[in-house]
Amino acid sequence: MNSSPLLAARALSAGYGDFQALFSVDFDVFAGEVVALIGANGAGKSTMLKSFVGLVPIRAGTVTFDGRDISKMPAHALASQGLALVPEGRRLFRGMTVEDNLRVAADRARRLPAGVPAWTLERLYDLFPILGERRGQAVEKLSGGQQQMVAIGRALITQPKLLLCDEISLGLAPRVIGEIYAMLPVIQQSGTAILLVEQDVTLASRSSNRICCLLEGRIVLSGRSSEISREAIAKAYFGVGHEVG
Amino acid sequence: MKWVDAVIQGLLLGGLYAQYAIGMSLMFGVMRIVNIAHGDLVVLLALIGISLAAVFGLGPGYIILILVPIGALIGWILQRGILNWAVGEDPLPSLIATFGLSLALQNFMLTVWQADTRSLDAGPLVVQSVDLWSIRVGVLPLVICGVALFLTWALHMVLKTTKFGRGLRAAAADKDAATLCGVDTKAIYAQATAIAVAVLGIAAVFQAARTTVAPSDGGAQLIYAFEAVIIGGMGSIWGAFVGGLILGVAQVVGSRIDPGWGILIGHLVFLLVLAWRPQGLLSRH
Repeated sequence: MNSSPLLAARALSAGYGDFQALFSVDFDVFAGEVVALIGANGAGKSTMLKSFVGLVPIRAGTVTFDGRDISKMPAHALASQGLALVPEGRRLFRGMTVEDNLRVAADRARRLPAGVPAWTLERLYDLFPILGERRGQAVEKLSGGQQQMVAIGRALITQPKLLLCDEISLGLAPRVIGEIYAMLPVIQQSGTAILLVEQDVTLASRSSNRICCLLEGRIVLSGRSSEISREAIAKAYFGVGHEVG
Repeated sequence: MKWVDAVIQGLLLGGLYAQYAIGMSLMFGVMRIVNIAHGDLVVLLALIGISLAAVFGLGPGYIILILVPIGALIGWILQRGILNWAVGEDPLPSLIATFGLSLALQNFMLTVWQADTRSLDAGPLVVQSVDLWSIRVGVLPLVICGVALFLTWALHMVLKTTKFGRGLRAAAADKDAATLCGVDTKAIYAQATAIAVAVLGIAAVFQAARTTVAPSDGGAQLIYAFEAVIIGGMGSIWGAFVGGLILGVAQVVGSRIDPGWGILIGHLVFLLVLAWRPQGLLSRH
């Protein structure tokens, strides 16, 4: 990982209205790696993902993706650049079938060079067989876990180089979380880098190569998941001055 | 037989209301915009058509061929130039924008065409009729209703099966999520409004052939379109069609009870639906 980063944020500041959520953040994701972004509620994790995909305006700094400055690109143009977000709360298209939800994204997917295997409906139905069985049903009829699979599939079918996942375990049963997280290595092996926002620190460190911890809009800890101690994480998570229990 | 006749005539009248309503329903369904200038756009297109017919001596078929692209262009410019700035979570800005546009259009039309009532000469089509089970049915109303049915079906198929249709439904369901999937929602909005006003290009010719138009007529057309959309269910294309037919039947049956009651009964049926099933007859929600 000594090459240039796939995604690079430099001195990134972003926020909503009068509220600033990120303060001059420097952050990298390299091709092929899984990075977990952790931090307390309101630390700015979701804002960071949303600022990458253009859903939250960038106030200062730059974001480059695959060598291009994307900080001023319109949000709808980013999917075809290879940047996809699985949004918090899934945000599926209600009233539309599973297959139509996926096809909205497939219609506008990044064009792949010849010979690179693409995510297709068939491949997604292989990865998540239940979606193949329920392809003709309206998405609101599916269980929470199945809806999360549709949301991940919808992001994958845009052929991302980097998949951003915003709390994909939220509100799901532990068994279902396990099933969904079991798919991440498969996605990683296909060549897609992953940036996870995850509340469960144990899950985050187990499923990532690298961990970054945000505290009040600043990155306070970053390192290899296998090397960072729980004490260091707890200290970064809650800030200095808190006792580690 | 008198009442069967009234219902059939009502269905045929409703075909015209359906043509007004499908565009309005499309715009509301996708953008949550209630286009107050909808009726004025019908009148504007009708007056343009009448002038084109007078200057170039064109028949109604050619006028439709000209008005549809003009309507599409007006719709596209309207959305790109005004409504894309007003559309959002809050329905008020777009309501005010289209209300202002309605006033501006009416005054513009008064300046250009004066307050005269005008009509389009559609030749013998207007007076021709056929016998259906001993009920005389006008050919023009039959054509209008047939066109309304075709337009509704065509729009339904476009929404259901095309890339544009999927993008539009996605933008209607969740704008941000659609953006994440690469849908350019502002472009989709402009295309939706272009379609909505293009359909009015067809409706305008039929309206002008069937009866007269004057620059201040837009308000009444707006009310019928709006009532049809509410009866059928806001945002539902087939709902707009069915709502248009129900409104037409209510008006004709009402006017057979008493010639002065037609429009009133139409409004009462609208209010009844609003009280009994405010989400509309064909709405899923």
